[in-house]
Amino acid sequence: MVFADVLTLLVNSLTWAMATFLVAAGLTLIFGTLHILNFSHGGFFMIGAYAAYSLTQSLGGSESMAMYLFGALVGGVVVAALGLAVDRLILRRLSGVDDAYVLIATYALLLVCEGGTKLIWGLNYRSVMPPTVLDGAWLAGQAVIPKMSAFIVACGIAVFVAMEFFLNRTRPGRLVKAIAADPWMARLLGVNVRLVYTATVAIGFALAGLAGGLLLANQTLSPSLASGFVIQAFGVIIIGGMGSISGAFLGSILLGLIDAVGQWVLPSLPGLPFFIAMTLILLLRPQGLMGRRH
Amino acid sequence: MNPANRRDILKYGAAAAASTLSLPGLNLAHAQAGPLKIGLITPLSGPQEFIGSYVKNGAEIAVDQINKAGGIQGRQVALEIRDDKANPAAALAAARELLGAGINLHTGGISSAVVLALIPVMQQENGVFMTCGAGTEKMNHENYSPNLFRPGDAPDARGRAQARLMAEKYPQITRWTGLIPDHEYGRTMWSIFVDGLLEFYPALTGKKPEILDPILLPYGVSDYRNSITQALRQQADGVYNATYGGDAITMFQQARGFGLMQRYKVVCDAANEFLVARGMKQQLPPHWTGMHYYAEANKGNAMSDRFVADYLAKTKDPEPLGWAAEAHASIYALAKAIEKGKSTDTKSVIANLKGLTWDTVTGSRTLRAEDNQAIKDVELVYIEPAATDKGYRVAQYQKVEGKSVLLPASPGKKLVLRTA
Repeated sequence: MVFADVLTLLVNSLTWAMATFLVAAGLTLIFGTLHILNFSHGGFFMIGAYAAYSLTQSLGGSESMAMYLFGALVGGVVVAALGLAVDRLILRRLSGVDDAYVLIATYALLLVCEGGTKLIWGLNYRSVMPPTVLDGAWLAGQAVIPKMSAFIVACGIAVFVAMEFFLNRTRPGRLVKAIAADPWMARLLGVNVRLVYTATVAIGFALAGLAGGLLLANQTLSPSLASGFVIQAFGVIIIGGMGSISGAFLGSILLGLIDAVGQWVLPSLPGLPFFIAMTLILLLRPQGLMGRRH
Repeated sequence: MNPANRRDILKYGAAAAASTLSLPGLNLAHAQAGPLKIGLITPLSGPQEFIGSYVKNGAEIAVDQINKAGGIQGRQVALEIRDDKANPAAALAAARELLGAGINLHTGGISSAVVLALIPVMQQENGVFMTCGAGTEKMNHENYSPNLFRPGDAPDARGRAQARLMAEKYPQITRWTGLIPDHEYGRTMWSIFVDGLLEFYPALTGKKPEILDPILLPYGVSDYRNSITQALRQQADGVYNATYGGDAITMFQQARGFGLMQRYKVVCDAANEFLVARGMKQQLPPHWTGMHYYAEANKGNAMSDRFVADYLAKTKDPEPLGWAAEAHASIYALAKAIEKGKSTDTKSVIANLKGLTWDTVTGSRTLRAEDNQAIKDVELVYIEPAATDKGYRVAQYQKVEGKSVLLPASPGKKLVLRTA
């Protein structure tokens, strides 16, 4: 294997990893804080993508980088607003109920997202041009590094750094972590736990919408977009350790690398090494890479 | 009559009635009264819902047209629609339910796995099923069943027509690879295309084509970069793409960053019709693709013109895609077979479908009696991005005579193909 091959493998695996982490970030934040496994997360990622699509198309296309990023931000805001409504109507009723009911309720919500998407945008496949500055690739010797890949990697790292900074270096972030660890004690100390929960849901959903917008030029838009990504996202948060941001980040990088190397070594069995690796990691560390045994 | 005699009469009368009802082929317990019901089992949810919507619209238009013309043998026709989710288990459940309700004639399946899964139940429960686009060759070969029919393109006719076209139009392009989804349909289409390349290049150009290992792509994933990188390492001049629908668009979008599609001198796509073109518009890599039905090329065919008008009125879509045309053709084939045999009985319908010649939106087709495969011309178009409202245009159109590329019938036997 030459240097170009190694570099290509690394870039491909990191692209997959960061795209998956972007989707998983909000999912793991909500689970870590509210202990709710939100199966509908992929649905809101999809709505974010469609909202960004509609905005950029109505304003003349996605070729301008500023417009593309603006579309992604609007996607995040739209989904955050939906998240507040979902919190009010559904998530609050799920605190303290059995996990099975949470999964059923949020899966039903995923179906509502898919139905709503069909109703508003129809069944047609859609796609957008990447911004002009992200179109094309850099060449590093024999290695081809698409600019879109580099953008996705940069977005993933930026979101990870921002979340780590927020949770570990800011007062509201530390409050979120404290409440996640012991909500009863936080209430006793006069913290408005409900408000922090609501803010966390808004941030988690905003991250889903933002991911949808940022990954808009990376894949097809269709009402089945939700399910594909949510499976990947669940994979990395389980491997990383439920509720751990750094775990999801590391998990996505590890699985991305395994998938890329697996496809290199066993091209006739695409996807197989990925699932074998997941199984092995969970057998060796059932709590995930960064999870704690309870 | 004393009470005992009355009891005997009632008892023996009931027994006689029951045994009559259970005579094979009669099935009066489930016999349809009122409208003639036809089952439509197609994906109405899940990843193939979009294509299923074309099947449903095409079948509904055929039924409306037939009903306006007085129905079949004076009976109005009604569709009993079920969602197969492109999932064999769901399709089996739907088929059993409809067969149990006395509905013996069915159409709609577009997934190879679904159609193959329905073979045993159609045989056991005495039903007829027509596929509206499943790509498996097995249904006419090693898994042949008299109860299954394909009123549209055979995969061998489609793939070999495409290979012949490549040899005719691009005689200098002899290094071929494939972007092939790792499932039944993908592998089937690649094998058939290779068979065609190995036959037609030597015959038409005097050159032996070089067939590289195809790039196998996982199905339904969000990232194809590893596969794209594998393809970049090859030095192929022509590529055959069998990825489908949303997967194809995602793959093409990600390939754009690597400049992969521009490296090929020609791209031949198995069956996306306008799905990719409509989804990608100006981003579209120029390519040839196979169509079950290209409305523009069938202008002047009264049946096609009416179909396009009815489709527009129903859906606001001026250009129905091939899956709608296949469903439309399947309903008309059933109607003609029933009219011919003056019966909806399964045995009669099967007998009359075999060898049937009937009119469709692509012209006249014949169902080959030996293996229930339609002999139909193959329609191929070259699509390129364009500054039009659609964002693309059809630059070339080619019709290949079905008989000239369809392999001979071999029901019950595996299709034998050339290999590189």
